[in-house]
Amino acid sequence: MKTTLEVKNLHAGIGATKILNGLDLVVNAGEVHAIMGPNGSGKSTLAQVIAGHADYEVLDGSVRFNGEDLLELEPEERAREGIFLGFQYPVEIPGVNNAYLLKAAVNAKRRHLGLDEIDAFEFLKLAREKMATLGMDPIFLNRGVNEGFSGGEKKRNEILQMAMLEPRLAILDETDSGLDIDALKTVAAGINELRDPTRAIVLVTHYQRLLDYVEPDFVHVLSAGKIVRSGDKSLALELEKNGYEWVKEAVNA
Amino acid sequence: MTPTMINQDLFTAAVEGLPPGQLSSHRSDAAKLFSVTGFPTARDEDWKYTRLDGAADLSNDWLASLAQNSTSTEASVMLTYAQLAPTQSINADWIIVHNGIVDAAALGQLKLPTGVNVSLIGEDSEHLALATDSPMSAFNAALLTDGLRVRVANNVAVEKPLGFLMVDDDRSRVTQIRVVLELGDNAALRVVECAFSSGVGPTFTNSVTQLQLAEGSKLDFLRLQNHALDHISTNRFVANIDKDATFTHNNFDFGGDLTRNDIVAIIEGAGASVNLTGLYLASGAQHIDNHTRVEHRVGPAVSHEEYRGILNGRSRCVFNGQAVVFEGADGTDANQANHNLLLSDQAEIDTKPELEIYADDVKCSHGATVGQLDETALFYLRSRGLDTTEARRLLTQAFAANILNLLAIDEAREYVKLQLDERVASLLGDERT
Repeated sequence: MKTTLEVKNLHAGIGATKILNGLDLVVNAGEVHAIMGPNGSGKSTLAQVIAGHADYEVLDGSVRFNGEDLLELEPEERAREGIFLGFQYPVEIPGVNNAYLLKAAVNAKRRHLGLDEIDAFEFLKLAREKMATLGMDPIFLNRGVNEGFSGGEKKRNEILQMAMLEPRLAILDETDSGLDIDALKTVAAGINELRDPTRAIVLVTHYQRLLDYVEPDFVHVLSAGKIVRSGDKSLALELEKNGYEWVKEAVNA
Repeated sequence: MTPTMINQDLFTAAVEGLPPGQLSSHRSDAAKLFSVTGFPTARDEDWKYTRLDGAADLSNDWLASLAQNSTSTEASVMLTYAQLAPTQSINADWIIVHNGIVDAAALGQLKLPTGVNVSLIGEDSEHLALATDSPMSAFNAALLTDGLRVRVANNVAVEKPLGFLMVDDDRSRVTQIRVVLELGDNAALRVVECAFSSGVGPTFTNSVTQLQLAEGSKLDFLRLQNHALDHISTNRFVANIDKDATFTHNNFDFGGDLTRNDIVAIIEGAGASVNLTGLYLASGAQHIDNHTRVEHRVGPAVSHEEYRGILNGRSRCVFNGQAVVFEGADGTDANQANHNLLLSDQAEIDTKPELEIYADDVKCSHGATVGQLDETALFYLRSRGLDTTEARRLLTQAFAANILNLLAIDEAREYVKLQLDERVASLLGDERT
């Protein structure tokens, strides 16, 4: 199977604080991985480093994406290469039209791939289709990006962006947080819709809840900036039952 | 003689040398006032950050040529397509003022609605009071030869906006232009003013706009200034607002070397409402100074004000917003905000909200902010594949959109937005070089 993402001995931090301490992770196309762990274990840092946030400094190690050195690329280049980060806290940008951003994002990627830009008609048709499956009112296209959206609407909007961009690697950072059960099911359905032999999905989550609806192939437990345990979906259930203390003890033992 | 002062002999000779007519007595009255004050200098608190040395130099040269009677009074250069663009894009009754001279022939051919009267100030000065409430307006009145007087009769609501296209493109010329606008009881008018210059050499415009809003009248006034970078302008707008009248002033400053606007709204009747908005975009070495003053002389009355600025390069902007609530003006509701986006660490904004309250029952608020583009939002846009240039452009446009959305004259929205987008692009470009 083709390797999509290969993280080797990754050390990274923000300012003087070191957060990742030698993290290794391999994600192949077609797989869904869940990364779990207690608060402060480095889950979001991993997601931000892969997306290219400038506040995070990589101190050692490597991240390769489809064989290429990812750390050399600007955030927008990573996006065009097919990396999508679903934000834990999607940013509200009043005054920037949601449809404009979606279309600009799709076209930035298409240009990068040497394809013709999508025209307005085609774009609207596609966006409306995707929104229908996510239970989103088309009116959201005309609003400012995430402007005044509820927590659930913001997360749906992230999934909409992902669906439009059809990434090769999607990292969804706590996409399940702040969702009621109906919204969770809709978002999960949106993610499952994108499961594909050519696509890798990494779910960063604190709880087992989302994994009831999006079944992962692998589950990893992150603690103090390292993966301390990997397994199949049953690991998530074990964590749910016994909490994270159990993992930490198991590691120290 | 200090450089910001006007040569008194040249000034007197120039005033006396102007062709006699209806304006003669106005000019000599104003000249007496101006002779006492001269140009404002740094000693005036209100002019602390804005120097008129360049304007004074140009004025002295111009006064010398006036005294020798050697200035041409003919508009010599044809207007360019770009200068005429607003007259094509905005459906309005356009009046062209070229180098301070009203295109009287074109004005004569305008078919204005019944109840609307537009005349030349020099030919229609009956009951005309030329405001000389500041040194620059006295300078303007003392040297005035042309201008517009607009009257809208009682109960006439004019549907089509009136357009003023003010173009200055005569090298080394100083333009004094005055517009007097009188709205009768319950009259309504919308005005679009576009002020341009062509950059053929340094020019200075000193404009005064007097606005009289009678009871229940409504005036929406949009001004877009996009002068060339060798142009200096001082612009004074004074509105007297009577009972239940509504005054909206939407001010856009995109160009100019040095621009100083004084916008004064005087509420003289209960139930009046004032909305002032402004957007200034400065890059390079541009200097834009907005001084606004709202006088709540009586209450209850409402005033809202929001000014935003985007600064790049070594530009410098000034915002001073005064709100004065007079004794007894109870029921006043006044709020004011000034927000600034600083895109370069060499740009400078001096912002100063000033509230003076002498009444008891009032609701007043003000706020000023200075900030940079939101890094989190920038990263979010880039993580979706947009390059830094486009992400910055979008966020800058979004910052400006708050003011664009407050534009009162719908017919002008598309044109203003186009100008704004162009200006944002050129302003952001400044930083990369």
